[in-house]
Amino acid sequence: MTRKTLERCAPLALLALALALPLAVQSATYMHILIVLLFYAYLTTSWNLVGGFAGVLPLGHSAFLGIGAYTSTILSLQYGISPWLGMIVGGVLAMIVGVLIGLPTFKMRGAYFALATIAFAEGFRVMVENIDKIGPFALNGPRGLQIPPLGFGLGKMLFADKEPYYYIILVMLVVVLMLTAFISRSKLGYYLNAGGEEPEAAMALGINVARAKLIAMAMSSFLTALAGTFYAQLNLYIHPKSVISLDLSFEIAFIALIGGRGSIAGPVLGAMLLRPVSDFSRIYFGDTLPGLHLIIFGVILILVMTFQPRGLQEPLTRLYHWVIDRLSSDRRTA
Amino acid sequence: MKILEKIAVPVVAFSLLIGTALLAQAENVKIGNIEPMSGPSASLGQQGKAAREMAVEEINAAGGIKSLGGMKLELIYADSESKPEKGVAEAERLINTEKVHILSGCWNSAVTYPTTAVAERYGIPFVVPVSVADKITEQGFKTVFRIAAKDSWWTRDQFAFLKDMETEFNSPIKKVAFVYENGDWGTGFATQWKELAKKAGYEVVLDEPYPSTSTDLSPVVQKIKRARPDVLMLVSNAADAILLTNTIAEYNVKLKAIIGSGGGHADPSFLKATGKNATQIFDIVEWETDVNKPGAKEANEKYKAKFGQNFSGEAVDAYLAMYVIKDALERSASLEPAKIIEALRATDLSSGPGMIVGYDKVAFDQTGQNKHAALVIVQVNDVGKGLERITVWPKTARRAGYTPVFPMDVK
Repeated sequence: MTRKTLERCAPLALLALALALPLAVQSATYMHILIVLLFYAYLTTSWNLVGGFAGVLPLGHSAFLGIGAYTSTILSLQYGISPWLGMIVGGVLAMIVGVLIGLPTFKMRGAYFALATIAFAEGFRVMVENIDKIGPFALNGPRGLQIPPLGFGLGKMLFADKEPYYYIILVMLVVVLMLTAFISRSKLGYYLNAGGEEPEAAMALGINVARAKLIAMAMSSFLTALAGTFYAQLNLYIHPKSVISLDLSFEIAFIALIGGRGSIAGPVLGAMLLRPVSDFSRIYFGDTLPGLHLIIFGVILILVMTFQPRGLQEPLTRLYHWVIDRLSSDRRTA
Repeated sequence: MKILEKIAVPVVAFSLLIGTALLAQAENVKIGNIEPMSGPSASLGQQGKAAREMAVEEINAAGGIKSLGGMKLELIYADSESKPEKGVAEAERLINTEKVHILSGCWNSAVTYPTTAVAERYGIPFVVPVSVADKITEQGFKTVFRIAAKDSWWTRDQFAFLKDMETEFNSPIKKVAFVYENGDWGTGFATQWKELAKKAGYEVVLDEPYPSTSTDLSPVVQKIKRARPDVLMLVSNAADAILLTNTIAEYNVKLKAIIGSGGGHADPSFLKATGKNATQIFDIVEWETDVNKPGAKEANEKYKAKFGQNFSGEAVDAYLAMYVIKDALERSASLEPAKIIEALRATDLSSGPGMIVGYDKVAFDQTGQNKHAALVIVQVNDVGKGLERITVWPKTARRAGYTPVFPMDVK
């Protein structure tokens, strides 16, 4: 096989593997761990559009997740509207909010931008915690909303088994990965990259950096909100501290940092490393050494940041190219 | 190769450990406990763990489950980190991978909701020692059983206590005042108080929320004084409970009774910072160490010797939960979930080592709520050993030889 066909087949092979995985994994426990893994990979990939390509560090993405989760849940609980439709409504709402936040904050640099997004997300959480109702929509304040596990079906986005959830989030992930790949090769991607690294230079070249960042923010908040609906339908319960928490915003950033910000595979690799570590250490040590998994998490983060500041995607990409090189018939002799 | 050897020993040891654990698990009743072992409520999770361990040790030492041939109870823990999604994931794992027969937990109401839904889906019995939100037993689930009182019962019991005091001391109550912190907790209580006051025929002369971060509450106290209520009911966090109590004493407000709602009034710092000003205040709590029940004192001593602190309300509920499970298993004589659920539903436990709570019985209603669950009301007073919290209500749990002071002495 030539190098080119190999490079084309490799992602397809991976996808086929991912599609076939539920056949091999019978245990609901492991299915759940896989679903949560894909969920985080999806979230981080959506975050990456702003946090990676645009070169800023937003730490308040849980607010968008919350908007998505609350919108679709309220619409389905109170008006019987399918979460699929609610998902889009939530996405659009989050997109509007994302742009409104982006307008003033994108002028800020570095830590100031990060702090502003944290402040926004926290403020948003406190608001939701203190509001019982907005007009006819019951938010239920700090008590949260519960989706009764009744009436399963595709239309209700509610399933008794794990497999449908797995395929939904897998499709969502593949779509967002394709979108990311497309953007990174588009003009917008180059604008973002240039604006993230050297905003002055980019502006001098006539690039509207602020506009590019706003577009990225709009897409990112829209996609993040879709994950909010998925979260609500999977866990069947949302409350401000779970969907609009700083913990969640930070975890997204951690995964991106470890996997590699600004790369396509980084978020997925980060989730593949960190999620199992988090889950299995909690399973094995949660009883005897509570809190240990959080320490492991921290140690990995420190090690990666020290020795591999561009994330794990860098050495792994090299490895991938080396393997492809070995396998292909038209080996380069460099 | 050196490195390999270094890794190999612990790996082999670990797998052996897991192997033996698996073998040992074969003939035990497995109880999966989802608790906040790390994170913001970790100390409560640890208390729940300690209490469960003490109960299970006792049960196993006494011969395990006799109807199942002396089968032992085995506790498996999972950490929720106080996060609903972790609780859900752990419930899935405990049911599917660990194959637990019974679930128990989760302290945080927010974790208990979605987690009980998982148990319901798999038909696994779920015993909730304490998670107060009303909604937990109001989801129409068949597998959930809660031992402790729910939110709305705190307010219910405060009013039941008032009625009992009225008859016991023949001193009628006409006017009540509600003063509470303006968060979810305080406003939630106040909503229920207003309904209860209407039913009881009391006149509400003051309904006053305040921010619990206030540094001066004298305007609130002046309002109380002007409204001239017979009874003042409070929901306060620690600092404001202290401030209110001291200011009320300063302004010499005359009341028949002051009733707190736990929280700040139950905080260890409260008595230290108010001293004599807190005398004769009533407070509602889940459990108090002086509860007049056989075995309560001994159990508390044992717990204290083992874990270095007194039983808390949460710990006592967890302790009792294990005995409720044991009782159900004795009657079900089977590990089939449906049989255990049937047995739990028929629970009628009124004696035994677990019954050291303030109420007399555990029996579940249609929703799975323990109908007999109640809270205890204590009065702060000095009976010769300095100020302490003395259980006064329900009457059956009242400290022997103590008569509550009602109405309060005019200072």
